Amino acid sequence: MRYIKKDSKQYIPEKKYIDTMLIPLIPIDPANDQELPKQAFLRELNQVFTAIIEKEYRGRIFLSPDYYYLNGHHEKEIERLNEWIARIKQQPFQHIFLFTFDAKWRKYESKVDAEVIWVPGLGTGDLQSTETQSFIKEQAREISEFIQSHWS
Amino acid sequence: MSDKKRVSRRQFLNYTLTGVGGFMAAGMLAPMVRFAIDPVLKPSGAGGLVSVASVEELTNEPQRFEWTVDQVDGWYESEVQRTAWVYRNDNDEIVALSPICTHLGCTVDYGSNEEYPDQFYCPCHAGRYTKDGVNVPGTPPTAPLPPIEYEVREGMLYLGEAQSEGGV
Repeated sequence: MRYIKKDSKQYIPEKKYIDTMLIPLIPIDPANDQELPKQAFLRELNQVFTAIIEKEYRGRIFLSPDYYYLNGHHEKEIERLNEWIARIKQQPFQHIFLFTFDAKWRKYESKVDAEVIWVPGLGTGDLQSTETQSFIKEQAREISEFIQSHWS
Repeated sequence: MSDKKRVSRRQFLNYTLTGVGGFMAAGMLAPMVRFAIDPVLKPSGAGGLVSVASVEELTNEPQRFEWTVDQVDGWYESEVQRTAWVYRNDNDEIVALSPICTHLGCTVDYGSNEEYPDQFYCPCHAGRYTKDGVNVPGTPPTAPLPPIEYEVREGMLYLGEAQSEGGV
């Protein structure tokens, strides 16, 4: 399910089946010329990943709107992020996953009330190239296996 | 010039008016006629079929085939990936099934659950379908997997849309 009208309407009566929320965690730093293309690429990559996972498991995983934060502000964001998670849990969602390429979240994993899925991203790359696509497919498969292991 | 061949003012006006009027009438009628027979002029549905594999590749075991189609969805135009499970049944007929679970739309896999090696299995809520796509009672799906339109031309398998009624 995606955060769109049609899917959210379908979600409400089927709540008991759709018990997993996936939140993309995406850092931005619009003031930094060097980081900008890198972060923009990682944002695209993140969306490609989550779209694949959502498509395969749309009957159980709800894909949340992206969570953006200023790069380096992890400490500050924890409170706001946990507020998001608390709201999501009220629905109730049983399993909440944060999906990110930002390795710094591993340090704060224990302070966040959800499961962090960290994947080493690609420095730069071309989303159209076959290598990148097979990398994405393979990683996406592993991530979905990880999520499935929480279901049973 | 003899008198006979002279065109009178009245005749001249008559000819011109009929001519111009005729053009105007034709201009109005042509789009109406086209509109009336529009369905005939549409490219046939077979245009949506895509060559996916050689018929010789098909076995008794369902295989997963992927292809892409262009899809216009409201504001977005995108390339969408389609998938199908295709096999030959015991009567040597081709069966092409959509992998979209009729429960809530997850993607089903064939033989991925060790307990049910000859069934389609949905990883989301353990929905199951027998090899011919019929949902197993007692599991969440309430409808069989929809068949996919297919055609065989010159030894190639062409796949199209899922023929879904019901489901999600």
